[in-house]
Amino acid sequence: MNDEPNLPAEEMIGRLSPVLSPWRRLRGVVALVSGLAGAVCAGSLWATEPAVLPGRTRLAFAVFTLVCLAWAGYGAWLVTRRTPLLALDRVIAGWFALTASIATTVIIAVAAVQRGAGLAPALATGAVVIAVSGVLVVRAHVRRAALLRRKRELEAVRQIGG
Amino acid sequence: MTDELLIVRCQLGEHDALTELVRSWHEPVRTYVRGMLGAERADDVTQEVWLAVIRGLPRLREPGRFAPWLFTIARRAVTDRLRQEYGMPEAGAQQEPVTEDAAGVVVERAALIAALSCLPVREREVLVLFYLEDLSLEDCAEICAVPVGTVKSRLNRARRMLRDHLTEKGTKR
Repeated sequence: MNDEPNLPAEEMIGRLSPVLSPWRRLRGVVALVSGLAGAVCAGSLWATEPAVLPGRTRLAFAVFTLVCLAWAGYGAWLVTRRTPLLALDRVIAGWFALTASIATTVIIAVAAVQRGAGLAPALATGAVVIAVSGVLVVRAHVRRAALLRRKRELEAVRQIGG
Repeated sequence: MTDELLIVRCQLGEHDALTELVRSWHEPVRTYVRGMLGAERADDVTQEVWLAVIRGLPRLREPGRFAPWLFTIARRAVTDRLRQEYGMPEAGAQQEPVTEDAAGVVVERAALIAALSCLPVREREVLVLFYLEDLSLEDCAEICAVPVGTVKSRLNRARRMLRDHLTEKGTKR
């Protein structure tokens, strides 16, 4: 058995770079949030359409919604299976989700007002999405604050000891 | 830097800490995997271990217990590779009295590594964790998901088998 390392640590770090890269980690979040926001927008507009739509318009709505859902699925797969969301990533992802939720709510509420119907369901849906995003933001900040506090404690102990 | 501080920094998302973590623990992980599977499969499985470690880092609640957690993941990766020969649960792990065996103490690292391949997987595993990785009996037990007594009995058995193997090798020369 060879006792010498065949694959040095630096090369292993190179192999792991897709997972270690912060931008690649956030790419999944962008796909997930954008996909969900697009699907909610398109689905809401389609569902609250007062008149019966022509066949091609319905097909276009369906295709756009499916494309958005596919991106959301890809993002969810990346976030849950491929790349970790560390504390800072979660804070950024949370704010990104909250911003997208508010923007989506505004868009579907404006569309509902212009049509003169469906404002209450639009606001209710938006409120739920915003609330979920808000909880994610708060949890991410709480977790990060706890880790920062622990980091300060450990650094203080190290300074005293060293 | 303590492991706990390094892990906390990793969990915060500090890129430097992640690379430092891999740099610090790459060789111990690779030594374990190589001891269990041989050199030819060590690099691939070590990479699998690191991917699982990095993906699991946000869920690690006790950063101070990083080493047992790391080797639990490594063990899982190794077990996946060995599933064919390793799948059946051990029938009645015998609880043997722990004795200080001089053979286990005097076996040198290089000879130990060379002789590991002659041992069954379970005995090889505890030897690697206990002697090559310098983990405590409690940590070995946690990693192997067995009681401390079982680790001790496996260590005893492993040392005896290793001694027999080395003795046999010596007499054949």
